[in-house]
Amino acid sequence: MANEMITLCIDSQEVTVVKGTTILDACLQVGIKIPTLCHLEDISSHGSCGICVVEVKNSKRLVRSCITSALPGMEVSTNNERIRASRKLNLELVLANHPLECLTCERNTNCELQSLAQQLGVRESRFQRTKRNLIPLDYSSSSLVRDPNKCILCNRCVEVCSQVQGVHAIDIIGRGLRSKVSTFMDKGLGSSVCTNCGQCALVCPTGAITERSHIEEVFSDIANPNLTTIVQTAPAIRVGIGEAMGMPWGALVTGQMVAGLRRLGFSKVFDTQFAADLTIMEEGHELISRIQKKGVLPMITSCSPGWIKYIEHFYPEQLDHLSTCKSPQQMFGAIAKTYYAQQAGLDPRNIRVVSIMPCTAKKFEAGRSEMDGAFEFWKEEMALSEGERFADVDYALTTRELASMFKRVGIQFASLPEEEFDSPLGMSTGAAVIFGATGGVMEAALRTAYEVLTKKSLPSIDFTDLRGMDGIKEATVDINGTALRVAVANTLGNARTLMEQIQEGTSPYAFIEVMACPGGCLGGGGQPIPTNEAIRKKRAASIYQEDRNFEVRKSHENSEIQALYKDFLIEPLGEKSHHLLHTTYTKRGQYALFDSF
Amino acid sequence: MYELFDTIIATYKGKPGALLSVLEEVQRNTEHTYLNEQALLYIAEKMQVPLSQVYSVATFYSFFNLKPQGEHTITVCRGTACHTRGSKPLLDDVMAMLGLIETEEGEDESSYTTEDMRFTVRTVACFGQCALAPVLAVDEVIYSKMTADKLATLLKQLMAKKVKA
Repeated sequence: MANEMITLCIDSQEVTVVKGTTILDACLQVGIKIPTLCHLEDISSHGSCGICVVEVKNSKRLVRSCITSALPGMEVSTNNERIRASRKLNLELVLANHPLECLTCERNTNCELQSLAQQLGVRESRFQRTKRNLIPLDYSSSSLVRDPNKCILCNRCVEVCSQVQGVHAIDIIGRGLRSKVSTFMDKGLGSSVCTNCGQCALVCPTGAITERSHIEEVFSDIANPNLTTIVQTAPAIRVGIGEAMGMPWGALVTGQMVAGLRRLGFSKVFDTQFAADLTIMEEGHELISRIQKKGVLPMITSCSPGWIKYIEHFYPEQLDHLSTCKSPQQMFGAIAKTYYAQQAGLDPRNIRVVSIMPCTAKKFEAGRSEMDGAFEFWKEEMALSEGERFADVDYALTTRELASMFKRVGIQFASLPEEEFDSPLGMSTGAAVIFGATGGVMEAALRTAYEVLTKKSLPSIDFTDLRGMDGIKEATVDINGTALRVAVANTLGNARTLMEQIQEGTSPYAFIEVMACPGGCLGGGGQPIPTNEAIRKKRAASIYQEDRNFEVRKSHENSEIQALYKDFLIEPLGEKSHHLLHTTYTKRGQYALFDSF
Repeated sequence: MYELFDTIIATYKGKPGALLSVLEEVQRNTEHTYLNEQALLYIAEKMQVPLSQVYSVATFYSFFNLKPQGEHTITVCRGTACHTRGSKPLLDDVMAMLGLIETEEGEDESSYTTEDMRFTVRTVACFGQCALAPVLAVDEVIYSKMTADKLATLLKQLMAKKVKA
């Protein structure tokens, strides 16, 4: 069915658009970008800020272009004194209750409100504050900090949390002057069903939601001569960090990133991708074992900590479907403080593992009490006391925090030479880099599972059906005459669709990959701002480019992984793996957060 | 208690606006006419509504109370007409006579209740009775053209009333 086209007139220029297009989008076609504030690209329009007003002939009032459809014959003006004055007035009213603390705000120079004030020529703050009291900050979450005083009630965070993620951790509470974004009974994100995915921080136009920063702690550990600071970087960092350092969207900057980390002073620059290959070894064998031993299927990936907390809250009865594999971040930490410590002759108590993640939920994950495999490993041998208990991963920083560290020390990122990761935990394969994109873990797992099961080489290792930004993708792989049906979901809203099938017992799949964030980790809540559909596509293209750059593109062919098994772990799913690389989950429920009935 | 909630929820199940009706009836059937955390949790779970949404609705409508309410509610109109005819001094009088003190978070408080749980004082933007300004309401009864003297008598009568068993 062809889309019905309509013609209208914008600033005396004729333009033809698909029926149902908003005036805002129609204007883009004639080269005019109407300023917006609450409008959330690709997701929703709330029409609450009143910045995007335009004039429509024969309409008395200015209309909000983000929520008004273009109609045939409509005559729209986007630029006259009345429009400019109205936009500016609306912005000044928003600014009246916004603290003018730009210089000390985390979002300084990357704030939509600030840019808009500049763009619309606001030069004074004419209106008095109408809210008398400051609202306390929400520090209850280990991943995110909310400052309701900087909130302009645009509703974007609420929309992304409810409409994209289906989590509903936050909503607008109260009304009128008392309106604020908050959680049930104002108990804070930390006591809510918040999955820490951080999509709210990504869409916030101001500094009202930011990650909980650990930059100072990391700088201080780097400076401590008694510590060995090991840094690991997730696949999605190398296609994101460049943007935050002024480079084009999706710039692939692996070598510069490594060089930059070395300049920051980390003792060893390793790669989470090493642990991604390790994850594939464990998870691939877990899948094979579940299929052969008629275990619980479909098995679902467990790399995304936002997804893990989601299933713990919303589908606590289905936790058996989760792979018991820890995420690559956690596998890395456990291996760094055991195998690597042994090899390098280091006291694990003096190792600090810092991970750079595209993710805010990784902070929560690193702090989970069950993530101390290395301590348990050494406890007896080293006669460690309870007071010495240490986590496998000490700090998880976001891509944005790493950019901030680079900027603080004056690293000229774009002109850095390309350097290589340190050995041995720096070696990885193409299968590991694609963990950063939705479908990547599945593709990597299939590359290995197929070859292990069939003992044959894959005819083609590119599973293109599993790539791309569709919310749910599926594929069928023929393994020794058995059809293996698999599915991939990105965003928690899409994960819910697959979970409902499991709940009803109708899931046709053997293996499911879930990533909490749109597009997978490359669209994670810790990535540079802005992150939108167009940018995610650029980052994904670089991820697959990097995959092709590797000579070795299958996890089981990583020689350092082979050495790790030979010298330390012995075999996938073995005794050591069980203690160091696998984990358990917690039934949280949605309503059982508090003393229940 | 929860049996009653179940009956209320069953009555409105599947009807549009069910959440509002359920909250309203639960509040009416709760001692001190309010919605406590346990009730909100229970309603959210049984109706399969996100907790944040239940809280959003309960805090949006001034009709819903999230704190225990006194036996009698005195509502002082603070609309423009009543204001020009002295509703602020009236409000101050009510507060003073009941021994209530406006806290610093004044604007964040929607109501004040005496410690003995006998009186709750709240304000309203307009009763729509501007011709009779200033007006205030005690429970469901509206008193018009209020003066300080009339108020004092009214409150004395109320205070003398026996506490509900």
